[in-house]
Amino acid sequence: MKDSIFLAWRYLRHHRAKTLLLVLSLSVFLGLPLVMRAMSRATQESLLSRAEATPLLLGKKGSSLDLVVEALYFQLKGAEPIAEADVDAINATELALGIPIRTGLTARGFPLVGTSLDYFPFRGLHIAEGRGLAMMGECVLGAGAARGLAIGPGDALLTSPSTLFDLAGVYPLKLHVVGVLEPTYGPDDEAVFVDVKTAWVAEGLGHGHQDLKDAGPDLVLRRNEGSVTANAKLPQYNEITESNVDSFHFHGDASGYPVTAAIVVPHDEKSGILLRGRYVDAPTRQLVRPAEVVDSLNKQIFRFERILEIVVWTVGLATAVMFVLVMVLSWRLRADELRTMTRLGCSRWKAAQIMGSEIVIMVGASVLLAGVFGIVMAQYGETWLQNLILRGS
Amino acid sequence: MRIGNCGPSGVIVMMTTLIALLLGCSKKAAPDQEPKSQHAGPFVIYTVNYPLSYFAQRMAPVGARVVFPVPPGIDPAFWKPTADAVQGFQSASLILLNGAGYARWTRYTTLPRTRIVVTADGCRDGYLHTEQSVRHQHGPEGEHAHSDLACTTWLDLRLAACQASHVRDALLERWPEVKDAVSTGFETLEQVLLDLDARLRTVGKVLDGRPILASHPVYQYLADAYGLSVQSLHLEPDQALSDDDWKELEAMLKQQDAEWMLWEAPPLKRTKLGLDKRGIAVIVFDPAGQAPSDGDFLTVMQANVGRLECAVGVKACP
Repeated sequence: MKDSIFLAWRYLRHHRAKTLLLVLSLSVFLGLPLVMRAMSRATQESLLSRAEATPLLLGKKGSSLDLVVEALYFQLKGAEPIAEADVDAINATELALGIPIRTGLTARGFPLVGTSLDYFPFRGLHIAEGRGLAMMGECVLGAGAARGLAIGPGDALLTSPSTLFDLAGVYPLKLHVVGVLEPTYGPDDEAVFVDVKTAWVAEGLGHGHQDLKDAGPDLVLRRNEGSVTANAKLPQYNEITESNVDSFHFHGDASGYPVTAAIVVPHDEKSGILLRGRYVDAPTRQLVRPAEVVDSLNKQIFRFERILEIVVWTVGLATAVMFVLVMVLSWRLRADELRTMTRLGCSRWKAAQIMGSEIVIMVGASVLLAGVFGIVMAQYGETWLQNLILRGS
Repeated sequence: MRIGNCGPSGVIVMMTTLIALLLGCSKKAAPDQEPKSQHAGPFVIYTVNYPLSYFAQRMAPVGARVVFPVPPGIDPAFWKPTADAVQGFQSASLILLNGAGYARWTRYTTLPRTRIVVTADGCRDGYLHTEQSVRHQHGPEGEHAHSDLACTTWLDLRLAACQASHVRDALLERWPEVKDAVSTGFETLEQVLLDLDARLRTVGKVLDGRPILASHPVYQYLADAYGLSVQSLHLEPDQALSDDDWKELEAMLKQQDAEWMLWEAPPLKRTKLGLDKRGIAVIVFDPAGQAPSDGDFLTVMQANVGRLECAVGVKACP
């Protein structure tokens, strides 16, 4: 048997190009459907597990899918905001804990998520390096964001301007990185977490500037008793530091400030049911169960996956037919070679063994390649596919 | 028969290894979904000023730890905590805030909302404002003012009793098994506060709107609750008054013929002599925002009320 394998191996090495082509074709045929199915299942499970870990989500009435995708997976879908007062109202019911989620801005490509301290124990997030949020102007990075940005505690990070060409718009805010979270292999890894107040400052809803009582004439348009009007030259701080943090303030009623959604964690099952009942007829708010929303998304993915499978298997069948054809034609072309082998004393059974070994080695190499492809996709494909699904949803 | 280095048996071994690796990589480490309690262990109460710390200590049963982390000599209303101090508050089981914008630092720090109780909220219809702050406008946002609220709420002793009742409610909500101890602690405290309140009302009636000067704008709630006509300056007891300060004082005296001046602490001897010369008697009324070096909140308040009663003639001076 060993000599048959040796001869088959030498033959395949001699016809490298043909062998490589066949191995690649078989690899795709073997690997693609398996990898697609595994990735799809893993993505669905991953999406669902995060949704199931989020009991209820309060948001503005509209697309529940956009709300869930933005508040749970931090993919910006332009979900209409609710108000901080809605979070307070949830907490005031004493039926549940309300955790605000404010999305909308990014920091060097990573989503900026404004939330409260309750978010971290709720998601089981732990600090790996540095410390948690303590002051306005600080941020904590997800493990992936820290790796991607190559920064850590003690470094600074600028928020990205929301409108690049709007010169009168909000300027980037310089955030102080104070901690990095342990990896969780989910959307939290790719996020930059700040206090919701910091998110409002980054959006331009709050600001800090020098005391106008001491402002020079170049900054003041007019000064009456009890009233100072500054001109647009009055510089606003773009960094919250120990020395200027006192000057940061918000105008108007903070309870009206926007939050994208509120994660609602009922104290028990009965409280959850009572809360859902209260929002059934709410004209402008919806209280959704993210698991139900993601489940319906998964059903759509499953339908799409079935269609894709049919396409992949059809292509695979064509590949298999081509492989058989190539082998049959190859054997015909090798008729003289086989005859020589027989004359040298090689039995028909031995010749068949050599041919069979060639097929086994090629199929084995294809499985090997499909395996490598599978490992790579298992490492990176799930996140890629998850992003593709969430962006396209 | 010898087969080359990359022979088929090597391929089979590699294949098996890779398949095993693939299977191993297919299941990722699941994140810890179990929320962990941030305040496991002893019941710890953090407060932003001394009165709340005192109320909590009076009511909290054995086992609870009350922490008032502002160092002595610093006015808790203007304290700026370090990140470590904020993390201390974050680890507390209960955080007692005063309300009325007291402790400005709480606006720009990250605190766990669910463990915060704002004790003065709901005790009156609205908070009192300090003197009109400067209105200003910058950019296209329109005019606005950073108006500050008067924040020494506990100088209205009924309001202080109300704040104490909110401390009681917070303790009972989190620690229902010690209802009797907490309720008893509250009832005795409330009784003393209401007795002092009654004495201050008598002082207010006797004064009948006669003007009193104040060295600092911290007596708004005292004035509002007891009908005192208080005009405030910005003077520090441990600093000598400048010529401008004396001019401002004299200008105020021309408008208000005041006989008394409230001070947070005894002023310098020179200041007292200057005031005596102008016919103004010094009354020390310590707001007790910070822990006293001697006694406690109630003894300080009793001394304050006693000095006021003595000055206006409600009771004989000791």
